[in-house]
Amino acid sequence: MMFPDPFGPISREEMRQWQLERLQTTLNRAYFQVDFYRKRMDALGLLPEDVAALEDLRTLPFTARRDLADHYPYGLFAVPLRSIVRLHTSTSTFQGKENPIVLGFTRHDVEMWRSLAVRLFEQVEVTDRDIVQVAFNYSLFPGAFTFNQAVEALGATLAPAATNSATIQLQVLQDFRCTVLATTAAFALHIADTMERTGTESSRLRLRLLLVGPEPLPDPARARIESVLGVPVYGLYGVTEMVEPGLAGECTARDGLHLAEDQFLAEVVHPVTGEPLPAGSEGELVLTTLTAEGYPLIRYRTGDVTVLREVPCPCGRKTARLSPVLRRTDNRVSVRGIPFYPEDIELLLRRFDSGLEDFRLVISTVYGIGDQIEVLLTRTPAQDLPGGGRSQYLDLLRSQLRRALGLGVRVQMVEPDQLPREGLGYRTVFRSLTPVPDSPLPSPP
Amino acid sequence: MLRVAGLSARYGSIPVLRKVSFHVEAGEIVALVGSNGAGKSTLLRTLSGLHPLTDGTILFRGRPIQSLSPATIVRLGLVQVPEARQLFPNLTVLENLELGGYIHGRKHVARCLEGMFSLFPVLSRRKRQKAGTLSGGEQQMLSIARALMAKPALLLLDEPSLGLAPLVIDEIYGAVLALSAQGVTILLVEQNAMGALGIARRAYVLENGRIVLAGDSEELMGHDDVRRAYLGRDYRHKWER
Repeated sequence: MMFPDPFGPISREEMRQWQLERLQTTLNRAYFQVDFYRKRMDALGLLPEDVAALEDLRTLPFTARRDLADHYPYGLFAVPLRSIVRLHTSTSTFQGKENPIVLGFTRHDVEMWRSLAVRLFEQVEVTDRDIVQVAFNYSLFPGAFTFNQAVEALGATLAPAATNSATIQLQVLQDFRCTVLATTAAFALHIADTMERTGTESSRLRLRLLLVGPEPLPDPARARIESVLGVPVYGLYGVTEMVEPGLAGECTARDGLHLAEDQFLAEVVHPVTGEPLPAGSEGELVLTTLTAEGYPLIRYRTGDVTVLREVPCPCGRKTARLSPVLRRTDNRVSVRGIPFYPEDIELLLRRFDSGLEDFRLVISTVYGIGDQIEVLLTRTPAQDLPGGGRSQYLDLLRSQLRRALGLGVRVQMVEPDQLPREGLGYRTVFRSLTPVPDSPLPSPP
Repeated sequence: MLRVAGLSARYGSIPVLRKVSFHVEAGEIVALVGSNGAGKSTLLRTLSGLHPLTDGTILFRGRPIQSLSPATIVRLGLVQVPEARQLFPNLTVLENLELGGYIHGRKHVARCLEGMFSLFPVLSRRKRQKAGTLSGGEQQMLSIARALMAKPALLLLDEPSLGLAPLVIDEIYGAVLALSAQGVTILLVEQNAMGALGIARRAYVLENGRIVLAGDSEELMGHDDVRRAYLGRDYRHKWER
């Protein structure tokens, strides 16, 4: 898809023509090659050609996360398996109530995602002169591999640092003279803390900028990272179920995230009624893939509440921009960049211990980012403790949770009256641990 | 140059084109490939005003042309080279060319002939010969040259390689590239997918009246679906779940 450059000077009207053309191929292929989409459209008496304009897409039903899990593993693939060159599992770490979601990418898809990751870097003016340190946990966020490929495709220098400790990352940052750091907001905060603790001056680094995501970047976190590292921090947006980053990212104007409209059609709908909302209103982001071959998604409800604006950006790009994600429509929370559902934790707890009565997740946030998680639970004394004694019980549960989440979790057994009653999400309480003098109380993620 | 959105057409009650959307930028060669009966020729005939559309819009240089007569559409610069040449077999090469340019007047015809003969030297040698006596390749060249006499901004080519030997096809495609270099925008409709993808920058794949693939030619050439459909490698039965 080299021509024309969708981020070049093409008008909104031209963009809409491109989108319409690509939407027709997506619908035609999805209808004829994916039973799921075909059955749903047949049930409504719809054919792909009933969508002759972008607005007509509204007649099609939404696709939910549940639909993706229900068709485990290959049920939503639109090409034979031999055309697939890469499989991805999203939510692989958690064996909750649902099957994992398995995505398949063709050669085209891999190339498409890579070009979008290149675009994320180019938007913040990363060039072949840069040394880019990529620090993600690849097993929790396999999409990070695409950053590596994109750095190489740009001709920049890749310094993959994966999940080394902050101290080692900092050493790499310093000794390799890295100019760009791509990581999660949580880890960037951790690096900032480490710098303060070890007294590392930002002037000893050659760092020019940070690219942070795909979990949202709260303003307090951005302010904190920028004040310690002394360089701008840019956010990006990804949908967990799509694994890859590259859907949207900030440019140097830092006034919203440019959406890759040449590859995705975005709608904003009312989270409850599903009714389309006009541009500029706050609502749930719904995405339709426009060129994805292996795994087309039609009207996928992301669960992310955002604002979509179509006004031109000072940087000159005419693509629509997303606001940073304001909140979720569901109960999903995120700790250290790892998203999970409290409902899944509940399922794990209840499977482990049939005597469980109630529980709370206490999530400590720092600068608006989930940092630690503690489980407080109450159980009926009538039932025997699985594992034997109290400490074995807690140890077992801790290790199960750690395996499931990829995070260390504190677990405490308490009396019913000790469970926090205030709460925002589903059995979830947020507690801010942000150092007071630095910033006002952040809002929970 | 050309922007088509939601175009539908039918033969009687049978839908042939189902809400087809595509576009051609100025200066591009765009290929539209598809097998027999996919709706390719109907699409071109609809663009030229020879077949009625039931729905959709056709913008040519920003102007809707879906309700204009074929003659007006040609005058605007959208000119079709029909499938199977459709020359006047009993007229000479020269006469065929003159007819192609007649809407622009005698002076225009005289001015243009030279260019045609330099693009297709063989026509110059055959100019007094009856069109019906030319070889298939020569007829195709004449057919293209005749269309060029009408000063097209956008040239629609319907299966120019049909029934021609590979070497002759190369020659025709060479001429198409030369025309493109001279600034003529080209929409090339072909069953010969690999040939068309070889000279086009972008392409659309039409199947049963629907566009099922769109992209850069290079990318489509290696695309499994295109290979499956046009190289006879059908392994759809190996669908694994």
